[in-house]
This record gives sequence, C-alpha cells and structure tokens, in this order.
Amino acid sequence: MTGTATATPYRSARHTGRDGFLRTLHGEWTKFRTVRGWVIGTVAAALVTVAVGLLGAAGSSIACSGPDGGSCDHTPRTGPGGEEVRDAMTLVHRSLTGDGGITVRITSLAGLYAPGGRAQVGAGPGTGMVAGLQPWTKAGVIVKDGTKEGSAYAAVALTGGHGVRMQYDYTHDLAGTPGAVSASSPRWLRLTRAGDTLTGYDSTDGTHWATIGTAHLAGLPATVQMGLFTTSPEYVVTSGSFSGSSYGGPSKATAAFDSVALRGRTGGAWTGDLVGGPDRGPGAGGSDLGYKESGGTYTLTGSGDVAPQVPGRGSPGKTVETTLVGAFAGLMVVAVIATMFVTAEYRRGLIRTTLTASPLRGRVLAAKAAVVGAVSFATGLAAAAVAVPLVEAVEKSKHFPMYPTPFATDVRIVVGTAALFAVTAVLALALGTVLRRSAGAVTTVVVAIVLPYILAVAAVLPAGPSRWLTRLTPAAAFAVQQSVHQYAQVSVDYTPADGYFPLSPWAGFSVFCGYAAAAVAAAAVLLRRRDA
Amino acid sequence: MSGLRQAVHAEWTKVRTLPGLLWLLAAVAALTAAVSAAAVAAAHCPAAGCAQDPAKLSLTGVQFGQAGVAVLAVLLISGEYGTGMIRTTVAAMPRRTTVLAAKALVLAGLVLVAGTVAVSGSVLAGRLVLPGHGFAFSPAHGPVLRAAAGSVAYLVLIALLSLGIATAVRDSAAAVGAVLGLLYLFPILASVVSDPDWYRHLQQIGPMTAGLAIQSTVPSSSPAPIGPYTGLAVLATWSTTALLTALTLFHTRDP
Amino acid sequence: MEATIEVTGLRKRFGPTAALDGMTFTVTPGRITGFVGPNGAGKSTTMRVILGLDSADEGTALIGGLRYRALRNPLSHVGSLLDAGALQPSRSARGHLLWLAHSQGLPARRVDEVVDAAGLATAARRKAGGFSLGMRQRLGIAAALLGDPPVLIMDEPFNGMDPEGIVWMRGLLRSLAAEGRAVLVSSHLMSELQDTAHHLVVVGRGRVIADTSVADLIAAASGDRVTLRTTARAQAMTVLAQAGAVVAATGPETLTVSGIGSQRVAGLLGRAEVPFSEIGAHRATLEEAYMELTRDAVEFPAGGAR
Repeated sequence: MTGTATATPYRSARHTGRDGFLRTLHGEWTKFRTVRGWVIGTVAAALVTVAVGLLGAAGSSIACSGPDGGSCDHTPRTGPGGEEVRDAMTLVHRSLTGDGGITVRITSLAGLYAPGGRAQVGAGPGTGMVAGLQPWTKAGVIVKDGTKEGSAYAAVALTGGHGVRMQYDYTHDLAGTPGAVSASSPRWLRLTRAGDTLTGYDSTDGTHWATIGTAHLAGLPATVQMGLFTTSPEYVVTSGSFSGSSYGGPSKATAAFDSVALRGRTGGAWTGDLVGGPDRGPGAGGSDLGYKESGGTYTLTGSGDVAPQVPGRGSPGKTVETTLVGAFAGLMVVAVIATMFVTAEYRRGLIRTTLTASPLRGRVLAAKAAVVGAVSFATGLAAAAVAVPLVEAVEKSKHFPMYPTPFATDVRIVVGTAALFAVTAVLALALGTVLRRSAGAVTTVVVAIVLPYILAVAAVLPAGPSRWLTRLTPAAAFAVQQSVHQYAQVSVDYTPADGYFPLSPWAGFSVFCGYAAAAVAAAAVLLRRRDA
Repeated sequence: MSGLRQAVHAEWTKVRTLPGLLWLLAAVAALTAAVSAAAVAAAHCPAAGCAQDPAKLSLTGVQFGQAGVAVLAVLLISGEYGTGMIRTTVAAMPRRTTVLAAKALVLAGLVLVAGTVAVSGSVLAGRLVLPGHGFAFSPAHGPVLRAAAGSVAYLVLIALLSLGIATAVRDSAAAVGAVLGLLYLFPILASVVSDPDWYRHLQQIGPMTAGLAIQSTVPSSSPAPIGPYTGLAVLATWSTTALLTALTLFHTRDP
Repeated sequence: MEATIEVTGLRKRFGPTAALDGMTFTVTPGRITGFVGPNGAGKSTTMRVILGLDSADEGTALIGGLRYRALRNPLSHVGSLLDAGALQPSRSARGHLLWLAHSQGLPARRVDEVVDAAGLATAARRKAGGFSLGMRQRLGIAAALLGDPPVLIMDEPFNGMDPEGIVWMRGLLRSLAAEGRAVLVSSHLMSELQDTAHHLVVVGRGRVIADTSVADLIAAASGDRVTLRTTARAQAMTVLAQAGAVVAATGPETLTVSGIGSQRVAGLLGRAEVPFSEIGAHRATLEEAYMELTRDAVEFPAGGAR
C-alpha cells in the first residue's frame, strides 16, 4: 500500500521529437559500424575483388613469337561507332562523286574452307581445303568511304547461308531476299546513294526490285569508292572443354558478277585492292586472292570479313569484364557479412531488443536492407573502380590487346558491379531473416549466385545448360558485367564461357533483382508474422 | 580406443537428435541427383562428336552437393560454438583429439552414405538419359565406376576439409564463406588466366579442380592438368592440413 | 501519456499448451509491481506480448492506452530488460547503447549518462562478449533507462547479480518508482521481491492468481490461525477440539489453531485451567503465502513425476 494514491506519474524532461525511418536507419548504421569485424570484412570484400582480378592478369601471358605471332603490335581497327572491327575483303572499285549507284548481277558464289584448322593449310595455299560456303561469306556491291580499314560503308551482298543482306557500318544487318544463287537462278543487287542516304535493293529477275532498307552514313564525303567485293570469314569451332580451346581455319570464296551498271559521276579505272592487306587475311594465302575481268564478267576471290570483331575464347584480346573476375569472391564476403547482420541478432536474441526499439518490423527490415545495400554498393563501386583500371594496366603492360569499350559501357559495368554487390547483400539479408541461421543462408546465396556462374563461365557444362543457368538463376546478374555484343552476322560461339550471357545486361540483372525481391517479400511477411 | 568409441557414439547421438541435420543430408542427396538429372537432360551431343565427358556430365550434381556437404560439416561444429555447447562437449570429453576424430568419423560416415545415394542417383539418371542424347555412357565401364566411387570419396574429403575450416573459424557464416571461396577460387581464376602454366598449376592445386579430376573418363585433346588419383590426393592433403590446423587451434584455444 | 500498463484477457496457445489463459492486471505509476509465479507460468510471454514481440491470440496489452507498436520512439515510453545476454559479443557496451540511442533520435551524450547511472563507466568501451552476467544486467538496465521512460519492464533483473549488485538494483528500482514511474519486475523467487515490491501480481498457468499489495497477501495467507505455546499440549488439544477448532501440533510445545479466534482460545483454556505461555495470531512469510497460492499452479513441481 506504499504511496500508490499519492504518486504522480513520471514525466521525462527530454523531448524526443518525431520518430521515423531515418532514426531506425541511423540505429542500424551505428549497429553495423560498431562491429569491427564487419567493417574489416567490408574492406576485405573490396580488396579480394581487386586481388583476384590481379591474379587473373598475372596468370595471363601472350605469345609474341608463336606461329601466329605478331599480335603484340596489335592496334585495334575501330569502326565509325568506336567498336573494334574487322575489315578484310577483295574490293574492286571506282570513285563516285555525288549521288549515284551501282547495279550488278551475281551468278555464282562458291567457297573453300579448311576443316582441320590452320595447321593443314601451312603446306601451301589451298592445300587441304574442301568446298563449302561459310554462312556469312559475302559477295556484292559496296559504297565505302575510301579503302582504309574501318571506314564507313554500306553494302548489299549475297551471303553463303543467309540470302541477300544489306549491311552498313559493320554492326548493322538487314535481311533481303533469302536463298542461294546458281547460273539458272542469279540475283540482281543494287545500291544507290543520295547524299548521306544509301538504299539497297535486290531482284530475282532484274526488273522487279525490292527495297531491303536504307542507311544514313552521317558525314559521308562527296567522293566515295563504289564497286564489288567478296570476303569469307574463318571457320570456327569452339570445343567445350575446360581449357576452352577453339580451333578453326581460313576460308575463301569466289563470286562471279556481270551486267555491271554504274550511275552518277564515276571516275578513275577499276582498281583491285585487298582491303586489310594480303597478310591480314586469315592465312588463306594472298596469292590467289584478287580479281579477274573478262568480257564484262568480274570474278573476285576474297577472304576475311567485314564485320565487328567479337571477343571469344579463341581471341587473344582482353575485355573489360575480365578485370572484374574477382567480383565473385567479393560477393561471397558481402553475402557473409549481410547474413550475419541479421542472423547474429537471432542467435543472441538481440532481435528482441531491436524490435522493442523499433516495433515497426517492415521498417526494421527496410533499414537493415538499406544499410547493407548501401555499404555493399559503396564496396562494389570502390572495388570495381579500382580493379578495372588497375587490372587493365597490368594486362596492357603484358601487351594484351584490349577490346575498346565506350565510356558509357565502362560506367555501366562498374556501377552494375556495385549494384550486384548491393543486391547480393539484400538477398543474403532477406534469406538470413527467413532462415534465421547463417550457414544455410550464406550457402543458399553463394550456391545460387556463384555456383551457376562457375558451371557456366568456367565451361564445366556445355553451352546449352550454361545458357539456361545464366538465364534462370541469380547468376544471370553477371550479364551486367558484359561489354561484348552478339552479332547475328558474325558466327562464333556466343556461350557464357566466351563472355556472352543470353540476357542483356539489365535484363539479366533484373532476373537477379526478382529473386532478391521475392526473398525480401518472404522475409517481410515472416518477420511480421512470427513471434520475435 | 574405448574413449573414441564412446565419443563417436556421443557425436552420433548429437546428430541423430538434431533432426534438421539428417533432413539436410537427405535433401542434399536428393538435390545432387536432381541437378545431375537436369544437366544430362539439357545436354545434347551434336552429330559431329561431343567434346563433353559423359561421366563428368552425369556427375554434375556433385558440384552442387559439395556445397550441401560443406554446410553439414560446418553446422556440426559451429553450431556448438554458437550456442556454447562446445564447453559441455569438452567438459564431457576433455581429450580434444578424440572429440575432433569422433566428429570427423561420424561426418565421414554420414557423407559416405548420402554421397553414395546421390552419386548412384546421378549415374542412374545418366544411364537413362545420356544414350538417348547421343552419348556413349555405360556405368559398368571401369573409368565410369572410378569416377562414381571417386565422387563419393571427393564429397567425404570436402566434408572433412569443411570440418577443419569450420573448427578453425568457429563462426558458421564465415566458415561457409571460407570453404566455398576456397573451392570456387581456383576454377574461376583458371577460366581467366591464359598462361598455360598458370592454368595447369591452378588446376593442380585447387581442392575442387584437382579433386574433381577423378571424374574425367575421356582423354581430352590436351593433356589433363592432373591425374585422377593424384588429384584426389591433392584434395586429401588439403583436408588433412585443415584438420591438423583445426586440431592445433582446438588444443591451444579456450573453448 | 498515462504511464500505466493495462493487460486485459490475454490468451495465447503454443500448440496444445495454453501459455496465457486470460491474463489480466494493471501496473500503475509510482510503485514497483512484482510479477511472480513459477517457471512456465507465462511471465516472460506476457512481457513479450506487452512489448509487441509476441502476438496474443486474444486480449490486449496497452501502455498508456496504446499498443506497443503504435508508440513513437518507444524507448522514451517503455524501457525494458528481457534478456541480458541479447548482445552482439563483438560490439562494445557503448556501441550497443549508441545504436539504440540513434534509433530513437537520442544524442550520444545520453549514452554517457546511462553508462554512468548503471555503473559501467570503466567497462563501456570493452566488448560486451567479455562481460559477466552481472555486468550484462547492468548494461541491460542502462539500455532500459536510455529513453528516460515512465514505464519500465524487467524480466528477472536480479539473475546473476552478486549481493552488492542486488542491493544496488533494489535501490535503483525503488528510486525509479519514487520518481513516479511504473515499474514491472518479474521473478520466480518471492524472496527477491519481498523487500522491493509494493504490489504483487502472482501468476500460475497463464492467469493471475492474486493481484494484491504485499501486506494484504501476507494477511490473507495467515488466515485466522492462532499460534499457541503450551506445556500441556494434549490437554489443550482436547479442550479446543471439543469447542470445534481444528488443531495441529507444529512443535513440541506449539499448536496451530484455526476455526476460532485468539480471544476464544484464551477464554476456553482459562476456563479449563490449561496452562499456556503465549498466544497470538499466526503471521505467514511472503514465501509461505506464495507457496500456498501457487501450489496448484506449479508446472514442474519438485520431486513430482519427473
């Protein structure tokens, strides 16, 4: 009965003001930074990312004196768009000033290739080659800004396996009439120029013309080169073994044109050129490359390709994403820390203290996610921003050719890697909340993200399952580090092991975000529903 | 030796009375077989000839199963550190070597059983699916038997490696991260290096890359970086080193 | 906000067992309310429901008329100590209090104040993982006081404390109540609360058995029993039994008599010329009163069918 009636309720002298998300966030941030192991771990995540990248570069070497040497003085040919290109063909041309056009009839296209690879060809030009066209062998008409490699162009060409195509400036490809040609079923091709605009046509009878498409080549000078060309790309087979060796061989093609009709102010005589030089052809031997003219029929034999250069396992060049190979290790550290950020609370019962301080549970989860997400984003950003230039410098010092990427792509890769770290942390946090046990949560995150990546990228699995893995699992997110493009008009193996993910960078990343969002939703529901 | 028998009995009772662990083991075995089945279902051998090793392909699930086995091993020891039960354990069985040996024996036994089930399921899936996809695959073939039995041994060794690391690291999250990081580092690094010597050495020293050499049955065009039994021996060296380090720390540290 | 805790009709089941079975009581400001009952009586569950950690199947637990989850900056309204071991071992004591302070918008200065108040000034920068149980209790008290709340809820705060710590804790609780705060303190040992609590809520099997002041509880447990000291025990028993009293021998020279008052006992013995040296109303200890009350409510009685 002690003094109950007389007690006046206690009033605190302090004013607390509004509460809100920012306070919960501040509390969670203080919670994070006051555990030294987590702060050290975060720094370690960045360091390990850079270190593994450097190890990868240190373990790479390029042979300058091998049988196919000479790569050390590699200076990339870049096209009008800044991407690396190949520009090697047999070209017969005259100059054209102002508007005009060219029309030809193509009556045959035949090719040879070396199925056993380069080695057999060494015996002599054409030795060991068998008849066969490559799908992207091209023969047709072209308007080009000079004969320099990498200059702007537009072309209408018959291909080995994809019918008539109109292509321009290396990366663009439009479909015309499908089908192959023979003497009884020739094909007429026409390319006209009006200012910057080039229009391609094809016809099966020389009378009825179909428009394939138009190209706008900005800045095309008044005088350009116009003529006929033939080229045939390498035959490439990439084996699916762990070492990822690819083999292939050169090919060449011979095409016959007649009924050549020119329009507009043309100048000079027909001149034959091996664009890209005879040595730049893929080893088919320059002696039988070139052109013959007799009675208005032009026969061109060419080898090479007019297309974007695409990196793959067979190519010596390094892409920017190889500098970030250490990201997986950083991600694992981040996943461990983010999981512990919540499971440590469950293990000690600290979650109850947290929830008495901030009873709105969704808000607690959001604050925790914001803290680990932001910390991991900063970690990933720092790691990628250091790793990309540093590892590139090491690769350059070892004379590796680097595939040039636009600045915007570099930024996307660095920021994307940071986002990858952030979303990984959020996913780990959410799974930690759902499972309340760290070992299970860490394993789930790592197995979901890194294991498919290894199986696909280290070429443990064949290309088919690899593509499915990088499409459906959280490992799809690594597409955000991809700098390379797939081009339908270039035949190489576009497998994840070659750096080609089946989804576009942000689409792949969205798949990952979908998993993270599902995990966060499950965590929010369970956190609300369960007794703490 | 009766001390060890008692300790093994005690550890087995611990595992048995934590139903979560046995369920985890069963799930790992089932998922391993399922992953293998999915891999063989997705693989097709082109008419030109396949570069894939069918035995390796049908044992793809082991790549997944090793993670589950690692978790099991980590939980076996860091669960005790997390709750402080390790003090009870050490009070009941003061000889640290006996405790760790008992844990290792129980773990090895569990993984042996689960691994055999998982690998048998994987090989069965390969036997049923692969011939239809253009692969020549016969489980009775000597090298295939070696790959299958070796995969079970691989899982046991991975479990022991994880037990060693987890005893040394104590925290379960950090231990799982360390184990998986160690396993995955080498194949990923090997996929980016272009120096053949580096490539070969990375394949030779990595616990996962060396250990999984036991799975190759088809001679590849380039010489294999490491032979199947040598590879398993490399992994065994890793596991032994980890367990000895753990034992030293277990002796010198307060529980 | 009114600094009261009102618990009304709480029910909660864990599978087949009812943890809370209509728990109802009120904690008012200015006094220490002891929350006692055997292990498993539902004390901790009730406290967790009050703090919004567990949800009840039925009933309400309100603080100043509001559910805990509706409180803004809750640590300024309610300070609680549930489990002193709920700490991240690698975080310093100060770091622990600092994140709590920041989550409530309190300045770091306030952390230093409560560190001093809890007597942790010398240990505040050490990792909490190395703390003894008593020091963890002090850290928990510091956390509870952080928001200077008018309501305090403490689950077994005396656990693990040394005698000096128990004295300190009693003094602290009394002064907090004297400031007009409502203080709810649970314990499974009545002796810990005997000299501390003003009011008692005794619980068993998920419901309130007694909700009373300490003095009333003792009086009720004492009943109308009379203690009698006599050298002629057999004679006295015969006389009193004939008068309809229930008599029990509780010692070689003492009898406990119930059914008739002490006046009547004295009269009867005088008339029968039975000698007696002392006669008085029986006074039970709080422990006895508690044992009496909770006899049927003990979940795991000692020496039972265990």
